[in-house]
Amino acid sequence: MKRLFSLITYFTLFYPSPLTLDRAPFTASAQAVLDIIRQKPSYASCNYDIYPDSIPDNLTPAPSGKRPFYISHYGRHGSRYINRRSGYDIPYKMMVQANDVDELTAIGKRVFGVMNYILEDSEDRWGDLTSIGRKQECQIAKRMITRFPEVFADSATVSARSTVVARCIMSMQVSLGELVQHNPNLIVTMDASQSTQWYMNHQDPLLRKSKLTPEAQKAYDKYTASRLGNSRLMGLLFKNPDIIEELVDESYFNYYLMKMGLFQQNTHLNQDTFLTDLFTTEDLYRMWQIDNALWYLQYGFCPLNGGDYPYSQRHLLRQMIADADSCIRLNKPGAQLRFGHETVLLPLACLIGIRALKNKDGSPGRYGYDLRTTNLDDIEEKGWWSSSIFSMGSNIQFIFYRRNIKDKDILFKVLLNEEEVALPIYSDCAPYYHWRDFRRSCLRKLDKYEKKRNSGK
Amino acid sequence: MMRQTKRQISATILFFCCVLCSTAQTISEELQADVRRAAGMHYALPITEEMDDTPPPQGKKPFYINHYGCPSAYFLERAQDYDAPYLMLSRADSLGKLTTLGRDVLARVEQMRKEAHDRTNELTEEGKRQARETIRQIAKRLPEVFTDKCFIDTRSILENNSLLTMCEAYVELSRVHQPMKLYTNATKRHQAWMNPQDEVLENQRRDSLAMARYREFTARWAPDDSHLMKTLFNDADYAKTLDAATLNRQLFDLAGSTQYVEKGNYASLFSIFTPEDIRRHWMRRNAWAYIRYGGCTINGGYQSYTQRRPLWNLIHMSDSVMQLDYPVAHFRYTSESAVMSLVCLLELDDFGVQTDCLDSLEALGWADYRISPLGGSMIIVLYRSDKNDPDPLVRVLLNGHEARLPFPSDCVPYYHWKDVKRYYLRKLYTYIRERNEN
Repeated sequence: MKRLFSLITYFTLFYPSPLTLDRAPFTASAQAVLDIIRQKPSYASCNYDIYPDSIPDNLTPAPSGKRPFYISHYGRHGSRYINRRSGYDIPYKMMVQANDVDELTAIGKRVFGVMNYILEDSEDRWGDLTSIGRKQECQIAKRMITRFPEVFADSATVSARSTVVARCIMSMQVSLGELVQHNPNLIVTMDASQSTQWYMNHQDPLLRKSKLTPEAQKAYDKYTASRLGNSRLMGLLFKNPDIIEELVDESYFNYYLMKMGLFQQNTHLNQDTFLTDLFTTEDLYRMWQIDNALWYLQYGFCPLNGGDYPYSQRHLLRQMIADADSCIRLNKPGAQLRFGHETVLLPLACLIGIRALKNKDGSPGRYGYDLRTTNLDDIEEKGWWSSSIFSMGSNIQFIFYRRNIKDKDILFKVLLNEEEVALPIYSDCAPYYHWRDFRRSCLRKLDKYEKKRNSGK
Repeated sequence: MMRQTKRQISATILFFCCVLCSTAQTISEELQADVRRAAGMHYALPITEEMDDTPPPQGKKPFYINHYGCPSAYFLERAQDYDAPYLMLSRADSLGKLTTLGRDVLARVEQMRKEAHDRTNELTEEGKRQARETIRQIAKRLPEVFTDKCFIDTRSILENNSLLTMCEAYVELSRVHQPMKLYTNATKRHQAWMNPQDEVLENQRRDSLAMARYREFTARWAPDDSHLMKTLFNDADYAKTLDAATLNRQLFDLAGSTQYVEKGNYASLFSIFTPEDIRRHWMRRNAWAYIRYGGCTINGGYQSYTQRRPLWNLIHMSDSVMQLDYPVAHFRYTSESAVMSLVCLLELDDFGVQTDCLDSLEALGWADYRISPLGGSMIIVLYRSDKNDPDPLVRVLLNGHEARLPFPSDCVPYYHWKDVKRYYLRKLYTYIRERNEN
C-alpha cells in the first residue's frame, strides 16, 4: 500500500497525460516478460502476484559427503485480501459517479456489478490471509521438510518468528502445523513480538526519506509517460469516453481497475477473470513496467534515490548471520523460520545480490538484484524483475551443508522461492557457496555502509 | 421485570444456601491456598492437575467439541503498567527515601519491566506452555474426537495474545493425530460471534447508578495504603506527596503478573501485601468485573447478553454438526471478558446469578478467577451413540471441571441436548422480545 500511496502522490503532483503505447518492437527481455504474463497474468501485478502451485524439482546435488543440517528462512505471508479499502475505492468511486450520470455501457454496468461484489466480499477482511494463502504456506512447508528431511529429523528444533501482523502470524501457524503433521516429534517454538520488529520488519526512517527524490520522480515521470492510460478500455466501459474524463481519470482508473482484477487471484474469487479479461497482455505488461520501475526506485540500489535502500535490511541480514554462526555450533540446529513482508524481502534480496543461475539463453547470470543503474529502461533488460522475487508467499531459504559437526568448511546455498540462485561471490561449487566467504563479504559490505552512514556522508 | 424479580429471589436463596450449607472451599480459603487467584481474570489457570471425568451414559461418545478459550498468560497490557511504579520507586530511591524492602521491591519491578519491554500484551513463555498443555489435556480426555476423519477449525480474534494462543494450540493439535484436517482463520468479519460488542448494553454498563454504587463499594473496601507506604518509604512526609492509592493498585497489578514469567526469576510481589489487603484488592476488581460482564442488576442485569450471538451460534453450529457423520472440533480464542459474559449467560455453576448487592458476591461464590482466568476455557462437548441418535447429550467443561447447567437432568453432568437448546433459545428470544418492546 505504501507503493500505491506513493503512486497516488506522484499522480497528484504531476498529472501526466495518458499517451498511447509506444509500438516499437519488443526487446528480447520484453518478450520474455510478455510470455510470462500471457501464461500468468497475475505476474503483472508485482507484489500481488500469487505463489506458484508447483516448484521444479531440479536441485543440484550437494558436493560429496555434505548433508543439509540447518535452514534459515525469511518468508512473506501467503496470499491475502487487499490491505485497505482505498485501493479499490479509487476506481469504484469513479464508476459510481459515471453510473449516476448513466454513462456506463452494458460492459461498464457488468464491471460495476463485479466491483460491487468484490468490495462486499472484501469488507472487514482487509489484509486477512486467504485460504489460498494458507494453502501456499502449507505447501512451502511440506516441500521444505520433504526436500530436506535431515534438517527436520527426530526431535529437531524449529524456531519461528513472525512480525506482529495477523496474516504473518497465521502464515507461521499453518507452516508449523504442516511441519508437525509430518513429524510430530519436532520441538517447535514461536513468537510474534514487538521486541523482534527491529530486524523482522525494519523500516529505516533515514533511508525512507529518500525513497522518491525529485530526481527519481523526474526519471519515473519520463519512464511512465508513454505507458499510462488506456483509451480502448475507456471506450469499452463508458458511453462518452471523451466527456467522461471530467469524472474518470483515465490513468488512475486503468491502473487501479487492473490491480483490482488481478488481486482477486489471491482470493476465492479467482475463478472469475472478467475484470482481468478486459485487459490485453500488452496492457498488463505496461502496468508491470510501471510498477517494476517504482519498486526499483524505492526498494532497489537505484542511485537516483541515494542507492542505499536495501541497507534498510542490514539488521535482518546481520541477525541471520549471527543466528547461523550460533546454530552451526550445534549438533542438530534444525530450522529458523521468519515470517514478514515483501517490503523486507525485496530489499533483502537486493542486499544479498541474488541473481539468476542462468540467463534465458543459458549463459551464466550476469546481472543481479543488486543492480545499480540510473536508466530505468535498463532494469527490465538486465533482469531486475521484482515479480520474480516477492509474490505472496515468497521466501528466501539458506540451506546449510556439512559432513559432520567437526566439518569447518560449511557450505550453503540460497533458494529464492524454493529455486536455486547465484550470489555475487566466487564459488568453486556454485550454487553451493562457502559460508565463510559469504559471511565475510556481507559483513564487510554492511560495515562499510554503516561507517559511511555514521560519518554522515 | 417479572423475570428479573424471580432471579433476584433465586439469588437471595442461593446466597443463604451458600452461607449456611456450603461445604466447598470458600473464596477466602482459595485465596489463602493460592494467592495468585487474587489476580482475578489475570490468574493463570494451572493445567497440570488430573481431571475427574464422569463416564458418559452407556454407548454415548463425544462427537463435537465447541471450545471458547481465553488468551493464555500474557504480559500486562501497557508499558505504563510497568513504567509508572518503576519511575515512582526509582525517583524515591534516588532521593534515598526507600526502605530496605522498598529497594528490594524496586529491584523486582525493574526486572519485571525489563522482561516486559516491547512485550506488553504478548504471551509469556508460561502462557505458551499453558496453551499447549490445555490442548494436550483436551485430547487426552476426549480421544474419540481426534481421529482421521475429524475436522478441526481454530479461530481467533485479532489480538496478539489470542492469536498466539491459537497458534500454540493449532501446532499442538497438529501433534495429536496425523493426518488431521485443520483449518484456521482470524478476521474482523467474524467479530460478531467471536467478540461481539453491543452499544446499547455498553451505554448501560457504566451508568451513573452503577458507578456510584461501585465507588461506594471501593471506598468501603479500600486497602490500607498507609501500611504499604510505611513498608516501602522511610520518610512519611515524602510518602504523603505520592499517590499512594495508585501505587498500591499498580503494585498489585504487577504482583498478579509475576505468575506468568519463569518461576524463580524473582520473589512474588504478593508478599508485600497483607492478606486483608489482598482480599480487598480482589473484592474491588471482582465487583467491577461483575458490573461489566455479569448479571449485576444495578445496571440492568443484562450485560452478559452481549454474548448472545456466540450462544446462538453455538446452538446452531451444534445442530449443523449433528448432521455430519464425522467428529468436529471448533476452537475459538477470544478475550477473557467475552468468555466471562458467555459463562454468565449460560448460567454455568450459578455464575449467572443476579444481584444488586456487591457485598454478597463472595458468599454467592461469584469469583472472576473461577470463571475466566488466563488460559481458561468453556468447552461444550456433545455426545451421541451414532448419527441417528435421537437423544444427544451435552457436557460442559468450565476451566477443565464439569459444570452444572441451570436446569435439571437425569444424568448430570450430562444434559439432554433438547433441554439445552430449548432453555437457551427461549432465554435468548425472551431477551430479544423484551429489548424490542422497550
